Amino acid sequence: MPQVIIDGKSYEFEGRPSLLQFCLDHGIELPHFCYHPSMSVPANCRQCLVDIGAPMRDRQTGEIQVDEQGEPVIQYFPKLQTSCSHIVSDGQVVHTARSSEKVKDAQRDTLEFLLINHPLDCPICDQAGHCPLQIQAYKYGPEGSRFEFRKVHKPKKVKLGPRVVLDAERCINCTRCVRFTDEISKSGQLTIIERGVKNYPMTPPGVSFDEPYSMNVIDLCPVGALTSVDFRFQARIWEMASTPSITTTNAKGSNCHLWVRDNLVLRITPRANPDVNEFWLPDEDRLAYRRFNEDRPAGPSIAGGTRAAFSSWDASLQRAAEILQSAGENAVFIASAYATVEDNWMLMQLADAVGGQVAGYIPHIDPGHGDGWLCTDDRTPNRQGCERLGIYPIDETLWRARIESGEVTALYVLEDDPVASGLCSVESLAGTEVILHYHHTTNQTLPAARVALPAAMAAETIGTFVNESGRAQRVIPAKAIKGTNRTLMMQMGLSRADRHGTPFDRWHNESHYIDCKPSWEMIPMITRALGTEINPQGPRKIMQHISETNPAFAGATHDAMGLTGIDLCLKESFQPAHLEGTH
Amino acid sequence: MADFIRNPVVALPDPNPESHFSEEELIFTEDEKARIAGWVSQYPTSDGAVMWTLWLAQEKFGFLPPEVLQLVAVELSLPYAQVYGVATFYTQYFKEKKGTFVLDVCTCFSCQFCGGYDILAYLEEKLEVKRGHTSACGRYTLQEAECLGACGSAPMMQVNNGPYAHNLTPEKIDELLEAMEAGKPLPFVSVTLPQDEDEMGGNRRTDAEAVEGYITPPRSERTQ
Ligand code: SF4
Ligand code: FES
Ligand code: FES
Repeated sequence: MPQVIIDGKSYEFEGRPSLLQFCLDHGIELPHFCYHPSMSVPANCRQCLVDIGAPMRDRQTGEIQVDEQGEPVIQYFPKLQTSCSHIVSDGQVVHTARSSEKVKDAQRDTLEFLLINHPLDCPICDQAGHCPLQIQAYKYGPEGSRFEFRKVHKPKKVKLGPRVVLDAERCINCTRCVRFTDEISKSGQLTIIERGVKNYPMTPPGVSFDEPYSMNVIDLCPVGALTSVDFRFQARIWEMASTPSITTTNAKGSNCHLWVRDNLVLRITPRANPDVNEFWLPDEDRLAYRRFNEDRPAGPSIAGGTRAAFSSWDASLQRAAEILQSAGENAVFIASAYATVEDNWMLMQLADAVGGQVAGYIPHIDPGHGDGWLCTDDRTPNRQGCERLGIYPIDETLWRARIESGEVTALYVLEDDPVASGLCSVESLAGTEVILHYHHTTNQTLPAARVALPAAMAAETIGTFVNESGRAQRVIPAKAIKGTNRTLMMQMGLSRADRHGTPFDRWHNESHYIDCKPSWEMIPMITRALGTEINPQGPRKIMQHISETNPAFAGATHDAMGLTGIDLCLKESFQPAHLEGTH
Repeated sequence: MADFIRNPVVALPDPNPESHFSEEELIFTEDEKARIAGWVSQYPTSDGAVMWTLWLAQEKFGFLPPEVLQLVAVELSLPYAQVYGVATFYTQYFKEKKGTFVLDVCTCFSCQFCGGYDILAYLEEKLEVKRGHTSACGRYTLQEAECLGACGSAPMMQVNNGPYAHNLTPEKIDELLEAMEAGKPLPFVSVTLPQDEDEMGGNRRTDAEAVEGYITPPRSERTQ
């Protein structure tokens, strides 16, 4: 196999890797700014310089020449090379800053140049703390600047579009943002304007940087030049905890990080997963962070007569159990494509225990919303998870008629909103005892609910979602909820208490703990009141059980899914014949 | 540049500029389209033809406001942003309306040494226009330029992105302006290359008689 010697150590390689990527893959750190694995290589930041040579060969014989000591004579390129644009070839010898003073000097000088007109406003910059320029300037840069003239002033706080703000002074003109709009999102909305010391990225006159993927340039930017309108100045990076998760705004299940401080989700950024979303995240997924903080319920409630009153969890779940018991086989259950596989499975067990019927899940399809990339027509994260469990879209006409006729004496709704989705109206539910698991106080079924149970959202629970192409991925809690749930606490990680705050922290706000429970915790409490115990319990064991008993979930244990998920068997292999063609 | 060094502030371009041309005016004729297609065919992608096409548009419309850049972008099927980026990169593409005559006076190193700023100041006074601006009559735009690659005949200036005027003196400028006003083409001045010095009797200047003071010492003397 061909070999390359980097800093005196030899490495084997295959194919034609770029030197920079090869080094990064092998844990050899090389400073760089403009290079990004999924975009073209302009080699314009000049930070990744290395010294490259190859053994000298005799022109006639082709033999490698050796010096007096018998060591091969290495002939180096006359100038340092940018490793990002260099394709490794057999026998080459590479020196990074670790083994070459020349490279070290060059990298230090490049940084001195990059910083000449940089405002050095790290203390107020959102990027500080995870800024490649800051980190690399500390590590590889000069101790000070020799530039003693006035720095060039460029436009600041320019709103490039509705979601992205530019500070042109911080920009190092790496063109990552421009290449993103040219090569990845193909909106072509950005360009570098002017030249020399005056250049910076901009939209042409009259154009707003409003493409649906615009916020990706914020993560791409290796400095703090591009920041988010929403997140600007909201938190320092080290004050937040980031939890790997997936987005639940659509059926793509893009991988993301949820950034939490004091139990508020402050932003959502992409997490690389080559099989799902690569490095990207649509703006709609990012802006969904508000859903975790706003309009959240203040605890369970029971409606007596017309007024709903907050109640205790025990009393509410007890009341739910009573309603289900008296309804018996007239109890109808609506599953949810918003809820996890585990929650839906629990609902099926509850329906069994009561003797009622699972009517299906309410589809939330928004034709034309999808873009064939990371947005889908389907606005729910787990439709396939439901179908793999054998829960299908609800027959709206049938069930609307049944609800209106008063046939359904108890309606149990898992994490959805049948009124808003048009299945039934609050009035038509007058004769029905509704038990509702809900996320937001804006849920329009709430006025009809006899028992309203706040359910934990994807940022607070543990569970599995199956995306539109059959990839099972799990979420772990990113923020704490009120009350103690051992399973959730264990998954949160012990080092996290500081970031969430304790009652002794002045900035800590107790009200940020939402009084909700995961549906997989509530349902067994109800069955227990009914005198039945569901087994197994807890999301990990449930998934273990499902993966062993349901071929559509074969292998989908929490451990197997890990952080990036696994592809399940094809959808066709579990689709019952009578439902073919209905999707 | 000197002004920029003193006050290095880059302004934000007007995000919503007014349109200068009407819909009817904003077209390329069939003939122009054919020329553009010809340029495009010379390159693997249409990006290659962007500078030619901008040039053509500038000749046609006089300058390149956003609506003209958009027209070019549509014609070449390129992102508008990309065309805008190219147009702002080159000072020779005029982003705003200029005078009939655009005078680019070089004040870069060699010209500065040989009196480039004196020439600039002389023009400012004579034309009653500040550097970087267009005269009230709309005839002259006076600009500072960086090295235009004719240092050997400094101080110099370029007129309308075209002919160079070398070895400038106030008298020579008066003559040039007269010729311009009269609508006459600028007198062509060839600059001799060092290898031709022998034929020129050791002098590299064709207009040696006109500028006595600038005669290069014969090479033989220099090397001694
Ligand atoms: S704004 Fe950021 S990503 Fe864009 S060119 Fe400047 S430094 Fe690079
Ligand atoms: S990363 Fe190689 S030049 Fe920028
Ligand atoms: S310095 Fe004026 S042309 Fe070179």
